Amino acid sequence: MLVEPELIEKARSGDAAAFNQMVLAYRKRILGTISRLIGHPEDVEDVGQEVFVRLYYSLDQLRAPEVFEPWLYRLTVNAAYDYLRRSKRRNESRMSDVSEQQVSRADSLAGGRQDAEDREKGRVREFMDALFRHVSEEDRLLLTLKEVEGLSLKELEKVYNVNENALKVRLFRARQRILKAYNSAKTDGSL
Amino acid sequence: MENDETRLDEFFQRYRAACPDIEPGPNFMPGVWQKIEARHNFWFVFGRLARTTAAASAALCLLLLLLNLVAPPQSRLSAFSYMDALMADHTAESLYYTEAIRNATSEDQGSPALQQ
Repeated sequence: MLVEPELIEKARSGDAAAFNQMVLAYRKRILGTISRLIGHPEDVEDVGQEVFVRLYYSLDQLRAPEVFEPWLYRLTVNAAYDYLRRSKRRNESRMSDVSEQQVSRADSLAGGRQDAEDREKGRVREFMDALFRHVSEEDRLLLTLKEVEGLSLKELEKVYNVNENALKVRLFRARQRILKAYNSAKTDGSL
Repeated sequence: MENDETRLDEFFQRYRAACPDIEPGPNFMPGVWQKIEARHNFWFVFGRLARTTAAASAALCLLLLLLNLVAPPQSRLSAFSYMDALMADHTAESLYYTEAIRNATSEDQGSPALQQ
């Protein structure tokens, strides 16, 4: 944990300075997670602020300081999910977002060809964001938390409040769906 | 297929490296507190409104209760005894039946078959 349990207790009892310290400790990590979850850098800070506002108003519901991190992740996932739903309503994702060119570029990257580092990163981000648009928000969030954020199944259990087996099934299905999107992009570029 | 799985895992790792943790802007913390205050104000106003409504409802209930207690309960019945009320009710019932009988008789007398 990035903060001491005593600090969480203080924040729970209404200490604004303690809450401030908590936000300062976690904001960078949470913003990073949000940016990977939603894929829209311009809205990351806004969603991040929403997470901490929700944290402020629900701290008294936290059972124990030990479960703080999974709980903060849950708030983050919920805020990201709300954002994705809102933005989906605003702007329906189109299947033509991944071009054949992007697929071949990303493929060559995966094959190990080196280009300028920043451009590479930009292309990978572009490609994965486009690929994620072809699966549901639930799949995107789950896969990002597991495969990109590196959360363990135990941690995910606490975030999603479901048992390990159910989680494994959901993960397997989500992986199959994104793999299918990847394969169809690779073969005919029609994604 | 296995190759694709490996490649996908590789993409996930590259994606992780391509999306580093974001450094928050200088307005991040003030923004958080501003939103907290705004929401706090909303709940404060909402709570005050709810409390005022509850207090007004309670006062109205008390007032109605008091009025009910202050107004003499016998005043409406003082003019009548129980027997009077019963009689009035009975009279009304008798009137209803006698009226009906009277009407029926007058109709019979008015009919052409009976006139012949």
